[in-house]
Amino acid sequence: MTGSVAFRGFGWRPLGRRTPVVAGLDLRVDPGERVLLAGPSGAGKSTVLRAAAGVLETTGDGDALGEVTTIGRVGMLLQNPGDAVVAERLGRDVAFGLENARVAPAAIWPRVRDALRAVRLPYGMQHPTSALSGGELQRSALAGVLASQADLLLLDEPTSMLDDVNADAVRRCVAEVVAETGATLVVVEHRIAPWLPHVDRVVVLGHDGSVVADIDPVSFVATLRDDLAGVGVWMPGVAAPEPVEPPVVLVETDRAVPRLDALALGVDLRRTDIRGATVTAALRDVDAALESRAVTVLSGPSGAGKSTLLEVVGGLRRPGAGEVRGLGRPPHRIGSRDLAALIGWVPQNPEHGFLTTRVRDEIAATSRRIGVPVDVDAVLVHLRLDHLADANPYRLSGGEQRRLALGAALAHRPPVLLLDEPTVGQDRGTWAAVTGWMRAAAGADAVIGAASHDADLAARADRVVPLEGGRNVAPGPAPAPAPVDDAR
Amino acid sequence: MRRFVRDANPLVLLAIGTLAIVASLAVRDLQTACLALGAYAVAGVVLLPSPRFALARFGAIAVASVSLVWSTWWLGGRDLEVALTAGLRIVVLALPGAVLAAYVDPSKLADQLGQRLRLPARPVVAFAAAMQRFGALRETWGQLDRTRRARGFGPTRSPLSRVRHAVSLAFALLVSALRDATRMSVAMDARGFASAQRRTWAEPAPWSRADSALLALGVALAAVPWLVR
Repeated sequence: MTGSVAFRGFGWRPLGRRTPVVAGLDLRVDPGERVLLAGPSGAGKSTVLRAAAGVLETTGDGDALGEVTTIGRVGMLLQNPGDAVVAERLGRDVAFGLENARVAPAAIWPRVRDALRAVRLPYGMQHPTSALSGGELQRSALAGVLASQADLLLLDEPTSMLDDVNADAVRRCVAEVVAETGATLVVVEHRIAPWLPHVDRVVVLGHDGSVVADIDPVSFVATLRDDLAGVGVWMPGVAAPEPVEPPVVLVETDRAVPRLDALALGVDLRRTDIRGATVTAALRDVDAALESRAVTVLSGPSGAGKSTLLEVVGGLRRPGAGEVRGLGRPPHRIGSRDLAALIGWVPQNPEHGFLTTRVRDEIAATSRRIGVPVDVDAVLVHLRLDHLADANPYRLSGGEQRRLALGAALAHRPPVLLLDEPTVGQDRGTWAAVTGWMRAAAGADAVIGAASHDADLAARADRVVPLEGGRNVAPGPAPAPAPVDDAR
Repeated sequence: MRRFVRDANPLVLLAIGTLAIVASLAVRDLQTACLALGAYAVAGVVLLPSPRFALARFGAIAVASVSLVWSTWWLGGRDLEVALTAGLRIVVLALPGAVLAAYVDPSKLADQLGQRLRLPARPVVAFAAAMQRFGALRETWGQLDRTRRARGFGPTRSPLSRVRHAVSLAFALLVSALRDATRMSVAMDARGFASAQRRTWAEPAPWSRADSALLALGVALAAVPWLVR
């Protein structure tokens, strides 16, 4: 038996929002179908998946309309791979669903072993889950789903936080699992192209969560490519959009930082847990030069040390060795307010950055703190958040939160902009707005550094600093844009 | 020898911690206090995998202890012995539990609570799942600290500002932990936890001879201050 799900007149309005994120959705997914759910940021794709999994109410209060009928055992993968971890040891984590399904202990372990083999995780049952990388965590979650013999696989942007190598491994495992078990698949993802060979139906949601297209993958690409690219969906064969620059007054800085130089930086990251401390070398003897009027991309696979380098350059982490020159003093010694006037740092995880309970206040917070006037409305318009000015930052969708974090970090027009994976999980419109901001700031004499594994972003950079395993590696050939027929 | 504590039954570890509270009740004067603490210290040096870690925990408790010594001395007739006894009593009460709790494996504890003590499965499992997230809090703290600093809301050099900053971070950490908990319960419910009124346990909940021995040692340690009165 495989699973199915049917929505009839389904709608959802979260508590505190005037308009519903999804309204009047009619959609049926039959047993054995493999469906890709696409749509612009904020179209309610995650909401639809959660409703299908029957966990919508767990995420927060709101008004549900219509009905959702789910048949079969549900297995779900979430965007943030760490969220699904329930146990300290790998074997026990994978076994969780089986325990809930009241499988006898003797029958559990063979199934856990098979599932781990199917997702190609080479570790033993006792391997600590805290030692798994993001990609490995997604595969262990997939193993959990697989072991429970789920009939309906719901995947909510399972690869958006992974680099290409890991994302590819996760996709391959999902495809194999579905082919083997015949399970029904519904996947939500911004990067559509790599999924198209693995699905037999594409459903596109519009801004209000209604179905604007329901079509097979081949005709989908043939007929809807340009229309959908226009509303923000990354389409195969459509090149990255042109950056959309904000008005220059939003980025024009009145302080000048000509360049920042990182010299022979070394950083050890200490992880202390119950059983002692483990020290990993995040950076070893790394040099990087960030010049004004230029966008410099720090590139490399996850674990390369990109984020750590950005934090050290921005004075947010003290280097164990080496120094950062360009701000007059070592950046980590500069007081918080003075530092804020000099740098804007966009963190990778936007959630941890919000200081207020209103989108508008969030944009204005730092400017007020350091006494710089800012046109909050213009910032909101550029980031397409103007309709959410009074919303609570934590009630926004993932993509909206990332945009807000960017505005909150940069609205006070610092002369140095440091962005950590700024284009992850963004639709085309936001991609253009974010890269546009970087280009415009570079045009206004700012120093821009971005840690990113986005090839399209690297292609728009003036300089690329490739890192691997915490060291500088020889720069490859000039960064080429991702091949157009597999752009996203 | 040092594997002893690491592989111990979590129930035994918690029992030793609880017995230490009983021991602290018998701490009447400086002599009993020193004897009780000395006994625990010797056992700790011999048995703990990392005595350095125990020292780190001691640091946290020492803060509470010192403040208690000071206030007892100030308000309780300026009698140094009474004050020191009160301070050491707190250390006897809290230190063994604080150190041993760190060696509790959440899954093993859940196995013991659910299978041996037959407590209701759902709260036990939810508790274990929450417990294994503790390590992530430190990373979140670092993240929160960095964003505040970058946005001009970090502390200045003044101690008052630092304290205020720490309080604000602690609150933010709490809020973020609650949000993480929501996302985690979505993940757990999506894995069949929502409908699991009864469930099985993938691993047994064993009780070994070593566990009995360790428990006996815990009883003996707790008896020290009672016996020397």
